[in-house]
Amino acid sequence: MEISGKRKTMLRLVAGAGGGPAAALLISYCAFRLHFNLSTAGSIDLLVVVLTALRFGFWEATGSSLVAIACLDYFFTLPIFSFHISDPQNWVALTSFELTALIVSRLSVQVQSHMRQAVLQRSNTEKLYALSRGVLWLNRQEPPGPQIAHLIKKDIGVDAVAIFDSALVRLDKAGTCTKEDEELARNTYFRNTNFDDAELHKWQRVLRLESSPIGAIVLTGIDLTPLIVDSIASLTATALERARSFDKESRAEAARQTEQLRTTVLDGLAHAFKTPLTVILTCTSGLLEMKTLSPSEAQLVELIDQHSTQLNAAATHLLRMAKLEAAEIRLRREQVAIPQLIDEILDECSGQLCGHSVRVRVTNEDLAVSGDRQLIAMTITELVVNAAKYSSADSPITVSAERQDSHVVISVHNNGPVIVFEDRELIFERFYRSSATRHRASGSGIGLSIAKKTAEAHQGNIWVKSGKETGTTFFLAIPVIVRSEHAPIAK
Amino acid sequence: MRPLQSKILIVDDESSIRRALHATLGTLGFDIEEASGGEEAVSFVRTQRYDAALLDINMPGMGGIEACRAIRRLSPRLPIVMLTVRDNEDDKIEALDAGADDYVTKPFHVGELMARVRAAVRRSQATQDDREVAITIGDIELDAGRRLVRKSGDIVHLTPKEFDLLRCLMSQAGKPLTHARLLSSVWGSEYGNECEYLRTYVRQLRKKLENNPSNPEYILTDSFIGYRFRDAIEKSLGR
Repeated sequence: MEISGKRKTMLRLVAGAGGGPAAALLISYCAFRLHFNLSTAGSIDLLVVVLTALRFGFWEATGSSLVAIACLDYFFTLPIFSFHISDPQNWVALTSFELTALIVSRLSVQVQSHMRQAVLQRSNTEKLYALSRGVLWLNRQEPPGPQIAHLIKKDIGVDAVAIFDSALVRLDKAGTCTKEDEELARNTYFRNTNFDDAELHKWQRVLRLESSPIGAIVLTGIDLTPLIVDSIASLTATALERARSFDKESRAEAARQTEQLRTTVLDGLAHAFKTPLTVILTCTSGLLEMKTLSPSEAQLVELIDQHSTQLNAAATHLLRMAKLEAAEIRLRREQVAIPQLIDEILDECSGQLCGHSVRVRVTNEDLAVSGDRQLIAMTITELVVNAAKYSSADSPITVSAERQDSHVVISVHNNGPVIVFEDRELIFERFYRSSATRHRASGSGIGLSIAKKTAEAHQGNIWVKSGKETGTTFFLAIPVIVRSEHAPIAK
Repeated sequence: MRPLQSKILIVDDESSIRRALHATLGTLGFDIEEASGGEEAVSFVRTQRYDAALLDINMPGMGGIEACRAIRRLSPRLPIVMLTVRDNEDDKIEALDAGADDYVTKPFHVGELMARVRAAVRRSQATQDDREVAITIGDIELDAGRRLVRKSGDIVHLTPKEFDLLRCLMSQAGKPLTHARLLSSVWGSEYGNECEYLRTYVRQLRKKLENNPSNPEYILTDSFIGYRFRDAIEKSLGR
């Protein structure tokens, strides 16, 4: 197909270069034989020149006009059969003939090229329209890349399409796409430059969305204008982004539904636990308040009361952890003064400290972070209660807070058993309970995983150091905020 | 006040809880009436006089908070104690904003519940004048007219804002006051979200008034809800 195309162009060139002048020569000769005068012959030659311009082009028409001038001079101006011109009027006639021929052929060539462009434009517009319509009907269940590549091949008529999608790091192709084209698509994205090779008919474009690159496309095989290539690229970028946001939206919707279901289930569970516990505790505490029981009866009721209270604490903890554990943590940020928070926490959880003495070491009373007060409080509480749970009752617990660079680091130290090296990462995993402590203390295996989630949600960190001599210390690092602008209100 | 005369309305959709409360509080000398939902409770309040209402927050139909609002409209001074479950701080705040006097977290001990109810009843019976003139709770004495505060007889110097905050807390001793409520009544409604201001002032007040500021006995924290001043009679509310 390509070879026959080249032959056609060659034939066209030969016909243009030879045909026009030959026709001019022939017609001039015929006019001479028919005894036409100079002006009649000139008009006929002009017609030949215009036709040549329309059929072949400006340069071919110029060639014909020069041959026509020569013929007119040779056959029609005195002396005839000579290229000499004696009458100056003939000079004027021939010059004006040549100028007219040049201008008319120029104009007609322009008209024709405009027409051709208009036709091309229309066909391009039609192709782009077909493509954009196809892009609107992409199948949402399938990845968009291969579908778009196929559409471009079909609707634009290129030989090969390669699309690189940077978000998914995938390459999709259609048609006779070579390895080189695939590589080219990747490189176009990474080099972030567009390139057109009109001779090889290779068009490279970076796919952009509001100036940020999201991929690249390479088209090969047919002659395109930069304008249509740009349009194809921007259509592709929009289609990829559209598919992506649709995907995100449906995933968010699914997550919302799961979240709703989870909340419903957990609320139901909470109700199922709390109602009987409320009844039991109301009865036991009521019986004790009545003060009508014999000492042994009172002792038994106290036992029920105590253990129901414990059961309630365990259920509350478990439900709260389960609620937080599966949910995506959303921060309700505010300025949190850490020393005061530590005081409040120790006050709150004094009942769960099993008689441990707690030392607080704070380097600076103004330590504050920007974060979710409730979640940070829960995390510190978890660390403090764990410290009490996993160490002997007479050993002290130390809670410290200090500024380290851009973070406030809160640490909770006890003299509990060493956490073996292999466990130091694992204890922050959900449901993991160290084999060393599994039987020592009750726990759900969720608390520390939530502590980790909380730290991460604050762009902070949580880790543990443990040694035989140094004891065990948990660290929670939360990014700090500068609080100088926010002085308390004037008194 | 003799407990025998106190008539309490218990509103809960769980009949077992109503029964347990009826049996225990009844034996302890309260006169009990039960309602199984918000609508029923409102209709009871419309026709009868109660000394206090215990109102569950989570009920099908008209929920506790809505019922609380409706009851408040009918009977502005009826002490209302909400029954809540843990981990629902927003509900508690909403209930207090809707006019509830206090809340008790389920499951509770009857002793604690009675203390809360009695405190709420006492507050509702105290006249406006009682609160305005002078309040004495434990060692702390607040003279609103002269803007004076004494601790164990010694004058404590407070800044004007500290005094306003203390008066706000002491005039409703025993009642949990939400952060937003305290902020807007001391600083103005535009400060409703500036919890850190409030904490700063509470810290200063504790330093000046408490024997041990890190283990306060007067200005108590209701986690994630607000603060309450210790009730005048109950030394500890058994939290």
